[in-house]
Amino acid sequence: MEAQGLPDLSARRSRLLGPSDRRGLILSTTSTVVVLAALLAIFWLAPGSAQVRHTFFNPADMWRSFVGDPKAGYYSVGAALWLNIRMFVAAEILILIVALFVAIIRLSTGPVLLPLRVVATVYVDVARGVPLILVIFAIGFGVPALQLQGISSQSAAIYGVAALVFSYSAYVSEVYRAGINAVHRSQVAAARSLGLSQWASMRYVILPQAIRTIIPPLLNDFISLQKDTALVGLLGAIEANKAAEIYSDTVFNYSSYTVAAILFLLLTIPLARFTDHLIARDRARRLAGAEQ
Amino acid sequence: MTVAAWAAIAALTASAGLAGCASSSGSSAGAGAGATSSASASTASCTFAGVQDELYGKGVLTVATDQPAYPPWFENNKPGNGQGYESAVAYAVAAQLGFKPSQVKWAYEPFDSSYAPGPKKFDFDINEISYSAQRAQAVTFSDSYYDVQQALVALKSSPIVTKHSPEDLKTYVYGDQVGTTSLAFINSQIQPTQTPKVFETLNDVKQALQTKQIAALVTDTPTAQYISSSEIPGSVMVAQFPSTGEHYGLLFAKGNPLVTCVNKALATLKSNGTLAKLTSKYLQIYTSVPTIKP
Amino acid sequence: MGRTGEVFRSGEPASGSGEAAALRIEGLRKSFGAHEVLRGVDLAVASHEVICLIGASGSGKSTLLRCVNLLERIEAGTIWLDGQPISRRGVDENLVRRHIGIVFQSFNLFPHMTVERNVTLAPMKVLGLSRSEAVSQAGELLERFGLGEKRADYPDRLSGGQQQRVAIVRALAMRPRLMLLDEVTSALDPELVADVLDVIRELAEGGMTMLIATHEMGFARDIASRVCFLADGQIVEQAPPAQLFSQPSDERTRRFLRRITDAGRL
Repeated sequence: MEAQGLPDLSARRSRLLGPSDRRGLILSTTSTVVVLAALLAIFWLAPGSAQVRHTFFNPADMWRSFVGDPKAGYYSVGAALWLNIRMFVAAEILILIVALFVAIIRLSTGPVLLPLRVVATVYVDVARGVPLILVIFAIGFGVPALQLQGISSQSAAIYGVAALVFSYSAYVSEVYRAGINAVHRSQVAAARSLGLSQWASMRYVILPQAIRTIIPPLLNDFISLQKDTALVGLLGAIEANKAAEIYSDTVFNYSSYTVAAILFLLLTIPLARFTDHLIARDRARRLAGAEQ
Repeated sequence: MTVAAWAAIAALTASAGLAGCASSSGSSAGAGAGATSSASASTASCTFAGVQDELYGKGVLTVATDQPAYPPWFENNKPGNGQGYESAVAYAVAAQLGFKPSQVKWAYEPFDSSYAPGPKKFDFDINEISYSAQRAQAVTFSDSYYDVQQALVALKSSPIVTKHSPEDLKTYVYGDQVGTTSLAFINSQIQPTQTPKVFETLNDVKQALQTKQIAALVTDTPTAQYISSSEIPGSVMVAQFPSTGEHYGLLFAKGNPLVTCVNKALATLKSNGTLAKLTSKYLQIYTSVPTIKP
Repeated sequence: MGRTGEVFRSGEPASGSGEAAALRIEGLRKSFGAHEVLRGVDLAVASHEVICLIGASGSGKSTLLRCVNLLERIEAGTIWLDGQPISRRGVDENLVRRHIGIVFQSFNLFPHMTVERNVTLAPMKVLGLSRSEAVSQAGELLERFGLGEKRADYPDRLSGGQQQRVAIVRALAMRPRLMLLDEVTSALDPELVADVLDVIRELAEGGMTMLIATHEMGFARDIASRVCFLADGQIVEQAPPAQLFSQPSDERTRRFLRRITDAGRL
């Protein structure tokens, strides 16, 4: 039985489906511009628009809140961002360490470590189950109330960092676990076959490969952490969002929040692009092996 | 025509339609400057019937405040019981405008959103809100219903109780509530070397005082009085500071014409001694409270 | 242990008794769940012998090799290395594995390390060699097998054959008593296979004791001291290659060899 004749394979593709097609490009650009223009028009022409623009996007208020004026009762949002930065850098370093520790314990198999494994599992469940804001209150108000020597008299930012580390380490430990499990079993076999101990295999062979795989989700969590530092403001620390709130409550204008939002975007967007760059750069190296 | 052209027409039609829709549905709170001119037209009748058009809900005076509602401004966290200075003032103003107590409704409005743009869900908000020129750009304030002085509360064991010369005052860590004028007062008048701590609610500030995270809290004298006498054991109101001209006003939506009648009511309550009576009944200002220089 | 020139000559039996086989397996049984793969394997390998394991896919060749270097736990039976039992519970597996080198079908080089680092890692961390000792040993070995220029490359830059030769060098760097080779040419393009076989041939000529699972019958015939045919979880027949390939005594062996011949592989 002869095969049926093929359709005309050289016919042109439908215009609407080709992004590289010149007309398709013009269409997509035009429709994007039109939709954006329509949204902007709706915003501008709404009856409350002038008031909203003054309340949220007033340049004078944005500048004033960015610079601050303690005598008038509000602080600089820009300067307060420095507290956020210090908090998330300190927290991230501790989280990466604590989470790795928790992950390795949970992945261990010996009977000796069973009690630690149980504790680690309970910890991960609790830390992921309780909202971060409650953890912040518990640590931020509870620990000072215990009136322990030294421990109870730290600044709000310290308690905030402790709460963030407690909460985030659980999530990040799961990311580590997934990454470690994702390293192919053959790598473990090869490492152990050379006589490397379980710990040496983990340290020299498994972890380096696991970490390369999990850098994107780790960076994702880091970006999330940067924004969660805002919650530490609830303990009285003057971080950027708190400073924005102080300004807005004092002057009755929300533009300070816009400033805080912009500042956070300036922090997180470069990090997101950097993450993309790392993913692209690291792809080739992971594909070594028998796939030639 | 090309698809692009159709898309453009559709989008522009939609946005024009929406804009037109919105602007034709009434401009009660959106406009702003126009309302003040209509206010003068209604000064003639500040009676129950006369103010109906200016109300949020017909036949009812809707008064807002925050949760929890603290003494001595409110009692038992129930604004509707008429007890507490602000509760009593609200009912007194309502009475002047011809509202019976049963015609006063209370609404909950968190402080942070009380000054948000757009129409309000209340006629006025009474919540120890101080007047400032900047704030008056976003909302309209009534005249003063209470002139404010700031005061200090500390634990009896704190050194600030005995050492509070202006130089000593600079060395302590203070705490206060966000959105109050206390922070401005601390920074501009006391000028401490360590940054004060700012808390979300008054309860958080009190907690911080009890756990010794702050040496003293700064708040208005009546609140300070209440905290030190009834709420925090072992605390004391150290002193109050001289007045800086601060006063509390009722908060209205920007350009709300009702403020004119309310101001008349307040003026009447001041002149007939009602406000003074309520002050001495609820705010228990001891004349022996020392006043110190910041 | 500085005889780098003889590093691919297996060392003398550790126990000192020249009589003990380098490797002895008795009654080895291994199951995966309900499926019994090895049903009583007996094998003795003397020093310097090269044993080739042949058999159909799934016959247990890989499993047998993985049991020898303790990657798999056995259900029954005993394994002796130079007269010492290594399959008992409580044996330090890491210690045993230093003396048994294994090379896998899929090379399993460490992709995040250079070729040189792949080779020096275990000698440094397990045997305690200094960095310079390990590097010079690695250099010699890589040169010997034509990989000297590749020492600073990452595995993804190498062809399959080159990677497999690096894998062999990596195992050799530990100076093992015994080498296990698990179908090491099965994943390679035909033109690369010859280079790897040359390396193995050289090892055999140098006296390395080896256990090789393979499909390369021609190669087996060349270098094996003995060929073992695995079927149904047991070594059905074992004999020098000339004898086994031309006059197999078991029907299963005959059938297997016939299939291979028909496929043109013999």
